[in-house]
Amino acid sequence: MRVLLVEDDLDMAASLKASLTADSHDVDHAGDGETGEQMALDGGYDVIVLDRMLPKKQGVSIVRDLRGKGVSTPVLILSALHDEDHRIEGLNAGANDYLGKPFSTRELLARVRALWHGRDAGPQTRLQVSGLEMDLLARTVKRDGKKLDLQPREFRLLEYLMRNAGQTVTRKMLLENVWDYHFDPQTNVIDVHISRLRSKIDRDFGQTLLHTVRGSGYRLGG
Amino acid sequence: MRPRLDALLRTTTFRLALVQAGVVLAFVVVMLIYVYFSTVGQLIRDSDALADQEYATLERAYAEGGMRRLNQEVVERAARQGPFLYVLAESDGAIVTGDFQQLPAAPRETPERVDFSFERVDETGSPVRGRASGRVGRLINGPILLVARDLGDSAVIAGRITRVLWTVAIVGLIVSLVSGLLAATQAARRAEALSTTAREVMSGDLSRRAPVRGAGDEFDELAQSMNDMLDRLEQLMHTTRTAGDAIAHDLRSPLTRFRQKLEAALEQAPNSDADREALRKALDEADLLFNMFAAVLKLSRVETASNWTFHRVDVTGILRELLEFYEPVAEEQGLGFLGEVQDNLVLQGDQGLFTQAVSNLVENALKYTPSGGKVEVRAVRRPDSRIEITVLDSGPGVPVADRDRIMERFVRLESARSTAGVGLGLSLVAAVARLHKGGLHLRDGLDNGEGKGLAAALVLPVTTP
Repeated sequence: MRVLLVEDDLDMAASLKASLTADSHDVDHAGDGETGEQMALDGGYDVIVLDRMLPKKQGVSIVRDLRGKGVSTPVLILSALHDEDHRIEGLNAGANDYLGKPFSTRELLARVRALWHGRDAGPQTRLQVSGLEMDLLARTVKRDGKKLDLQPREFRLLEYLMRNAGQTVTRKMLLENVWDYHFDPQTNVIDVHISRLRSKIDRDFGQTLLHTVRGSGYRLGG
Repeated sequence: MRPRLDALLRTTTFRLALVQAGVVLAFVVVMLIYVYFSTVGQLIRDSDALADQEYATLERAYAEGGMRRLNQEVVERAARQGPFLYVLAESDGAIVTGDFQQLPAAPRETPERVDFSFERVDETGSPVRGRASGRVGRLINGPILLVARDLGDSAVIAGRITRVLWTVAIVGLIVSLVSGLLAATQAARRAEALSTTAREVMSGDLSRRAPVRGAGDEFDELAQSMNDMLDRLEQLMHTTRTAGDAIAHDLRSPLTRFRQKLEAALEQAPNSDADREALRKALDEADLLFNMFAAVLKLSRVETASNWTFHRVDVTGILRELLEFYEPVAEEQGLGFLGEVQDNLVLQGDQGLFTQAVSNLVENALKYTPSGGKVEVRAVRRPDSRIEITVLDSGPGVPVADRDRIMERFVRLESARSTAGVGLGLSLVAAVARLHKGGLHLRDGLDNGEGKGLAAALVLPVTTP
């Protein structure tokens, strides 16, 4: 996919560009806010990765103006200021995701893919991954036609994994999107929730659907 | 109301007011004595002078005509019903003639002077008490002569003057006390305004200023100095904070690059497993460093920032979600996990910080309690309407002497060295408690068989004034 990277730190930009290219994306780079906004307006990008503090124009203003001009390309803001109020300010301006520095490359790659993947996910009533079926209206889950009994939070966890099926989702993404928590737990609490879910959707079936991606997170898919 | 009165009684101004009242009272007393002697005293002295003249006239009559002449004079004069009163007695005290059947006692210090009250009959025939003063003396060869003057209207006037003086004294005392009290209250109120400002500033709101009324008095001067000091302080804090934000920004990018390079090196699969292992460890250390860095910055912001906007925080809902979130971890570690959360607990605060604070406490409990133990979370509204969230565990506990210390930055007990962490978790909880005008208290927790575990109680007011 085509990614627009707006970052004024050239060393950082080079390193991010290398990582994104290695993850098979086409990357264009802009070194300041005004150039970045112009490139975004010219269009053709699937995802925009935007630094918050930029010369000439700040990241949050760029998102606000892009949204005002009808550009709906998913935007991920990178920021050294990742306090709650800064994050909310960024999301309110129209950004789709917000990642605080320092971050791991895998975290960034996972989020870029998730943004692109979820870009045209309109209102759905059914999700399907291999033999796994989720009915969002009846709030039921079946695997190979057999009904599974999930707790409400397990249902939301599985829903998020199914919406991002085939993509790696990090623990941080699960924490933010399933629980709306914005701190780093010091315990392995996410892993425990995943292993509970796994025992319900995978244990009695031949093929494993919920995979652990070493060093990154989890991936749902055949 | 009582504590405020006590505080008022302790103020310097109130004590000065008391001293002032004392001085006014002393002045009034001196005035009273002076006025008394120059009015009532003068009336008596004038009357005494007339009594002395009359006495001298009678003494002369005795010298000229002896006892017979004197007796005659006294009888005649008494019969005239004039202002004078007479008594003539033998040398042994037996009354010869006069207005009274016995001699009034003369005071010992001035043996020749008498001052007494008596009963007489007025024009309408009804008895009235009168007051008289005059002279009593022993004449040559022993007979005793008393001449006194009925003070009559003078006594009434003197009585009125005395009453007026007493009234003035009492009113003066009350007025000086009340005015002192008012002055003290006023001063106490203004001093209170200053210390309120100081308290608000201490709790992190550096934009607060003491009220200056423009009266140009010493309180205004004090408030102005305090405000100037706060301006300077705020400016310094602002400089520090913006510098802090800039440093954070400047450091986070190189730290991110550093991490990316480590990751890239790891991806490029170095030759030996040992190299990979070393790189992976370096990456873990880098992550620990990032976490510490982020935790310190967050703690600093909680401790110094003044721009937190508080919203409604659904304590009950958040706690029940956290309990649900951590319950599987407790189960996996073989811990009993119990939550007792009252319904409808709500407070004004910062939801993100509140959630993180409680999460830190629960994670601490889960981390330090060995398998087979218990962790309990209780949340109640206390009788003083504050909300108390207690996380109790049956872990090894913390000695009483160390409890205050472990809430400080980077402090970790020797016994905690083996577990992961940087020693900022409780500091953050304590800082969040302070931000919400509440407190974090460490107490004995659940029984662990050998002693007590730890209980951490977060006590927060429902609204912050």
